Amino acid sequence: MPVAPAAFLDPALLAKISDLALLARTVVDGFMHGQHRSMRKGSSLDFAEHRSYQPGDDLRRIDWRVYGRTDRFYIKEYDADTNASALFAVDTSGSMNYGSGAVTKFAYARMLTASLAWLSQSQGDRVGLATFTQELVDVIPPSVRHLQRMLHTLAATKSGGPSQLITSIEKIGLLSQRAGIIVLVTDCYEKPEALGRAVDALRMHGHDCIVFHVVDPAERELPGDDDTTFEDAETGTLLPLKPRALRDQYRSLVSAHHVALQARFTAAGADYVRLDTSEPLDRALHAYLDARLTRSRVR
Amino acid sequence: MNFLVPAFLAGLAALAVPLVLHLRHRDRDKPQPFPSLMFLEQITIRTEQRQRVSDWPLLLLRLLLLTMLVLAFARPLFRSGAAAGADARSRAVVLLIDRSLSMGYEGTWKRTLDSARAVIGRLNGNDRVAVVAFDDLAETRQRLTTDKAAATGALTGLSPRARGTRLAPALRVARQLLLDAPFAAAEIVVISDLQRAGAVGVAGVELPAGVTVRGIPVGPGTWTNSTVHAIDAKRVQQDDRLLLAVKARIQHFGDSAPNERTARLILNGREAGVQVVALNAIGETVVTFEPVPAPEGTVAVQVALTPDALAADDTLVAVVPRDDDLRVALLGGGGEPLFFERALGIAGAPSIRIERQNEPRSTSVEAAVRVYWDIPPERSLQTFLEGGGGAVVVVGRRLAERRGAISPLLPVSLAGTADRLADRGGTLRDVRTEHPLFAPFREVPDALSAVRLFRYARLDVSQGADVLARFDDGLPAVVERRVGNGVLLILTLPLDNRAGDFPLQPAFLPFVRQLVMHASGRDAAPLWRATSERWALPGTLTSPVVEAPDGALLRPTADSLGAAVPLNDAGLYRAYAGQVGGETEAVVAANVPRSESVLTPMDTTELLLGVRADGSATGDSVSSATSGVQSDEVLERRQSSWRLFLAIALLALVVETWVATRGRRGVARRVATSSRNP
Repeated sequence: MPVAPAAFLDPALLAKISDLALLARTVVDGFMHGQHRSMRKGSSLDFAEHRSYQPGDDLRRIDWRVYGRTDRFYIKEYDADTNASALFAVDTSGSMNYGSGAVTKFAYARMLTASLAWLSQSQGDRVGLATFTQELVDVIPPSVRHLQRMLHTLAATKSGGPSQLITSIEKIGLLSQRAGIIVLVTDCYEKPEALGRAVDALRMHGHDCIVFHVVDPAERELPGDDDTTFEDAETGTLLPLKPRALRDQYRSLVSAHHVALQARFTAAGADYVRLDTSEPLDRALHAYLDARLTRSRVR
Repeated sequence: MNFLVPAFLAGLAALAVPLVLHLRHRDRDKPQPFPSLMFLEQITIRTEQRQRVSDWPLLLLRLLLLTMLVLAFARPLFRSGAAAGADARSRAVVLLIDRSLSMGYEGTWKRTLDSARAVIGRLNGNDRVAVVAFDDLAETRQRLTTDKAAATGALTGLSPRARGTRLAPALRVARQLLLDAPFAAAEIVVISDLQRAGAVGVAGVELPAGVTVRGIPVGPGTWTNSTVHAIDAKRVQQDDRLLLAVKARIQHFGDSAPNERTARLILNGREAGVQVVALNAIGETVVTFEPVPAPEGTVAVQVALTPDALAADDTLVAVVPRDDDLRVALLGGGGEPLFFERALGIAGAPSIRIERQNEPRSTSVEAAVRVYWDIPPERSLQTFLEGGGGAVVVVGRRLAERRGAISPLLPVSLAGTADRLADRGGTLRDVRTEHPLFAPFREVPDALSAVRLFRYARLDVSQGADVLARFDDGLPAVVERRVGNGVLLILTLPLDNRAGDFPLQPAFLPFVRQLVMHASGRDAAPLWRATSERWALPGTLTSPVVEAPDGALLRPTADSLGAAVPLNDAGLYRAYAGQVGGETEAVVAANVPRSESVLTPMDTTELLLGVRADGSATGDSVSSATSGVQSDEVLERRQSSWRLFLAIALLALVVETWVATRGRRGVARRVATSSRNP
């Protein structure tokens, strides 16, 4: 089974698709085309049937009991049954408007969110949207009928302004009484401990959290060599520096931050996926599906 | 380097301004947008990194600009070597040595050479000296050199010459020599008897600022001098002998009373008379020699006094031309030519004899010139003219009544009469003073413009004629035509006192004499010329060679006068055709200008005040002449270094402006201090 063509998932090419719905469908179809057929069947726990193992199938779906009896590999297929509520919380603050390559972080987040929502919808999930900066900007409650509205809102959203990440996450957690999946798409410019506590709160409400940390390659490396004045995208603060002299220290701080986030989110029981805006979306989609699958198993 | 206005140097404190600005400079690049400064703000950035000077080239340009401006306003000046005393500094000295005739006064020339050697001897090793000898011209004997021996050697061979004195050309030559030493302490030393007459034109000489002029007077403290001022010589007829009567005019100058002098008359090299003269203390003394038989042809006359302290002006030479007697036939006119006749009859050399011819068309074969007074000339005039005779046709009232051509020989036609009574008379205009007819008026051209003319004939001039003068209304006044070897002159210029006042003007006498002399082909030659003149040889002389008074042979060079030789020495110049020897074709006498005999000196201050320095009061030059040290003001004005500094500042400004608007330049925004994490 061939892997999904990278072209369908290349952010640089995807950015040229202005229709978000088309983009999402293209991504999901491309992604699903490259995935095991079993993914189309969904990942419900309700057993449906066995089928012969084909090279490329997920080894975790092999029914080993059948193998013990028959010495042949068979894959379990389940009926699609999620009925899950997925709320996509997208950071639309000014820091998300940064991009050193073909796409900004916000454009990447938007493509990611649209694709994940489309994927969720195709899995039978209810999807919703919440965009935030300092406050919640747009809120679309999860529903099976809200995909198009969500995509439309996403397409019309523009990033900018300062952010209050912790406060926004807290308010997101209060949006729905029903537990579901909260997919947080942000650039995580906040202290790891504070973010961890906020995710803890979401978990206490019964939500499952997947944090997609969107990072631009330049953010890791600190651009510039000679005298450069950096301007904070949200506050406008200016800081003249010599990047060449500070790059090593900066990289260390960024790496430490990422490590801290990984550890804290893991401790909070949330999934943490760090995405580079230059890499294709398939890894994000994989992670999402896996997280969704895990949640389903736990339930 | 010193400064004329050192107070301006306080402006150098302004150099701190760009330095501080550059130290506090925030990067002027367009700010780099960045998602968050969260990590950057955690990094400790050392203070000295932020305070490091950025953009060194721009800072240095601005510092240079400010420095040059301050220095320019402080008026810098440069002095070479020690400033204590003029002799201790490097100098450029131009010696102007007067070698005019007056410098031959007893003892003067020795003092001149001694003074020159003393000036050269006092110069330091690095000082440069030039030697210029001058009389009425300037000759550079030695250009600026540190070789004192060469400068002293330039004095060798110098001696007073029989020339006048003019200091102005020598000062100009000195100014040109000093251009070779723009930054040296420049000095012009004039070694001369400082004759007042030599100062003519000095006021028009401008010297560069800082050049001092110093005079070393070497003339006698007290002086006395006598000179043969002029000679009058004419041929007189006594019974059946032709005698030459000579008078000499002697002038005495000086502080002491004159004494008796002996005057000798020499004709053609042979002594012809001696007179003992008691000179008058004031005015001139006339010495009359006994008339002697006049030698044939041209006579060289020399009157010599017993030598005094200035012997060179004790002898005067003159040349009395041959054919003293000029015969003029006057036809027609009645009583109108009265003034004309009287003027020509006034004694002069040559003497002019007028023959009245009452009958028209009767001629005298002996006359050199025919004057037709208000009557048309006869047809045979052409033959006379072609043979070298001269004719003057005076167009008066009677001829003016005619209309049209007068005679086929005359290149004019009559067109009535011009009456100028209404406008108080006309004058002469457009007089061609370069023509020999008007030679007496070259130095005084205004003499003819004083003439008033009330009525004269209107002439139309045809081709082949030359209009030598016009009235102020443009009508021809004097017309000339060459016919063969002769000259035909037509005058509508009234020579009587009815149609004008010309006979009453001082110009009348020399004009009518020159009129007949020119018509006769013999223009009035002076008895002698000055040594500063050039002698234009007769055009009929083929391959001329001239023997100078000292025996030197001169070949004439072509100039505006034709073939001419310079009259550098006093004495007789003899011209020969082809080679020296045989018959003398022409002879001329040259004498020193009489002004050289007056040794009255000018005051040294008068000399210095007469010389102007560029942009500075002459007082600077005067005071500097005594101390020998250039003041700071004078030196700074001469150097004008502030212009160089200002030019550098302007250049730095242009470059700074160009650099500041290129490359990474932008406007810094105010730094906000808000933070993402309160």
